[in-house]
Amino acid sequence: MNDTNRILDLFNEKNSLEEKYFMPFLVCGDPSIEQFISMVKKIALYIDLLELGVPFSDPIADGPTIQEANMRAFEAGINTKVALDTIKKIRTFFTKPIVILTYYNILIQGSETIESSLDNTLRRFKESGIDGIVIADLPIEEAGLALKYCKKHDISLIFLIAPTTTDDRLEKILKEARGFIYLISILGVTGAREKVAQITKETIKRVKEKIKTRIPVFLGFGISKPEHASAVAELGADGIIIGSAIIDIIKRNLSNFNKMEQELIEFVSSIKNAIKRSN
Amino acid sequence: MKYNGIYPNKCGKFGDFGGIFAPEVLMPALCELDEAFEKYRNDESFKKEFYQILESYGGRPTPLFYAKRLSENVGCKVYLKREDLLHGGAHKLNNVIGQALLAKRMGKKKLVAETGAGQHGFATAIAGAYFGMETKVFMGKVDIARQAYNVYRMQLLGAEVIPVESGSKTLKDAINDGLRYWITNVRDTHYLMGSVVGPHPYPLLVREFQRIIGIETKKQIMELEGRLPNAIMACIGGGSNAIGIMYDFIENENVQLIGVEAAGEGLETGKHSIALGLGRRGVLHGSLMYLLQNEYGNILKSHSISAGLDYPGVGPEHCFLKELSRLRVETATDNETLESFQKLSVLEGIIPALESSHALACLEKIKGEFNKDDIVIINLSGSGSKDLNIIKQRLEFKVK
Repeated sequence: MNDTNRILDLFNEKNSLEEKYFMPFLVCGDPSIEQFISMVKKIALYIDLLELGVPFSDPIADGPTIQEANMRAFEAGINTKVALDTIKKIRTFFTKPIVILTYYNILIQGSETIESSLDNTLRRFKESGIDGIVIADLPIEEAGLALKYCKKHDISLIFLIAPTTTDDRLEKILKEARGFIYLISILGVTGAREKVAQITKETIKRVKEKIKTRIPVFLGFGISKPEHASAVAELGADGIIIGSAIIDIIKRNLSNFNKMEQELIEFVSSIKNAIKRSN
Repeated sequence: MKYNGIYPNKCGKFGDFGGIFAPEVLMPALCELDEAFEKYRNDESFKKEFYQILESYGGRPTPLFYAKRLSENVGCKVYLKREDLLHGGAHKLNNVIGQALLAKRMGKKKLVAETGAGQHGFATAIAGAYFGMETKVFMGKVDIARQAYNVYRMQLLGAEVIPVESGSKTLKDAINDGLRYWITNVRDTHYLMGSVVGPHPYPLLVREFQRIIGIETKKQIMELEGRLPNAIMACIGGGSNAIGIMYDFIENENVQLIGVEAAGEGLETGKHSIALGLGRRGVLHGSLMYLLQNEYGNILKSHSISAGLDYPGVGPEHCFLKELSRLRVETATDNETLESFQKLSVLEGIIPALESSHALACLEKIKGEFNKDDIVIINLSGSGSKDLNIIKQRLEFKVK
């Protein structure tokens, strides 16, 4: 189970990037470990990749929706060890790529030094079945060690690009980026928004023009509706990432798990349909 | 030892500590700030304006005061650097005037800041009013409750105080929310970091604006005593008053540098803020430093009677200086601090901030190490008038 990277396989085997991909984001262990696993099972059919948040106590890049999801997951007992076990359980039925999103401090604890901790933690995550990782507070300037050990353990280190990222830094990032590019559509933290920002279009264009290799561009932050999804797909994004809008469904239905799952299935299938139509 | 001017390096590193662990959205703003600071730090007109404001508006230089009765009491020569007399009642003004002036030169229109005790928020509100910049201050709900007086003062100066409901609702969460706000409003807003923490270039630029404390102290003690002190003591939360007074003495290796962390209710209770003494390496708020955290890397709640020291991390330069064995790290509990707070009030007619009282309390604990002629300088970083509500709950006087 260690010798493949499902992200690279996914984008290789198609050999063209004409299809549009959908990657929902859930916080691992929200609202409880069992319910979380059950939800993944239910939506597995409609998604192309799965992004899992491994919560950190101080997530500065996340808005209130994901912060609250983190709190629920902490209350449900999430930590690195439980997250690893949970991912292993998901791997018993889920064969598509899994990407985790976390903060650097979560990855650099547990062993004698920061470097040995990083080596060890990434190895354990790979063994649990992940393919890629997004580290929300690790810019390219600080990514040397993470790149080294992601390479060692065959994990795609996925970098974020923002509308404010300068061309100079964009080139540096593109040189090291693996798996896909995570394009932040707005100036802001995570959270569902009513409209897709104007800034998105020019950013996608600017990034696409700079890309020399065949790496897909996924757009995230602020996408909350099927119309947004099809709109950004039409703007040239290869994939879309939706987090807060999905977590809002969880939050709305905390007292009724059946309804929560039902609404989730409806939502993710509507997103998948929307981007299919725009293909 | 050769130190000054070497650290941090271009990447913001003090040895292994510091750095820029920031979300991508902030990177251009941090680079912009770094470039602007490099441009203005040696610019004569910038420096001149900075010092002029601190003199005419702030009241610099602050006195270095020989505390005669306290000296007799503890058995060595104690000098107090009176940052409590600076406009605003604390050393915080140095930093906010520096950063707001820089922000103004960069063309930023708004200031956003976090605050724990309310001292930095109040100082930022002062700078906002002085420079005519719209000011927002993020403050934890718990801190708002225990520092109502400072909230009112900030509002009186026209700043908007925004309550923070996330996490432990204290300083670290105020930084989180302040940074989130900055992420969303990065183009016209300067994030005015209150201490020598955060991603590069903050630990550097806050230190440079606070260095004035040590530069003055050195000149003053040479004039008064004709020799350097045996020790300099300062409380450490994030660490800006400590690095401010200590930086220009780092190369003077005969001067002991002693940082005092808040032991809160005591080491054994787990309710403390001893990040340097008991923390493990980790990354919080953009910087690698010693942190109070659990085995999985989630940040623990810190505790101190003084909101200004109630932070689970500590500036990267202090971590580095500790590792170099140049900084000695001590602690003082809430109770020890209260005793020293009262002692200075009675002996010298000066009501110190609870933060600064930690340094006084530490002197009480280690006074046996000093001879009668030894000179100890304590950075009296702030005035205690802001703390009276908290003190009053613990210390009641009866009118006979």
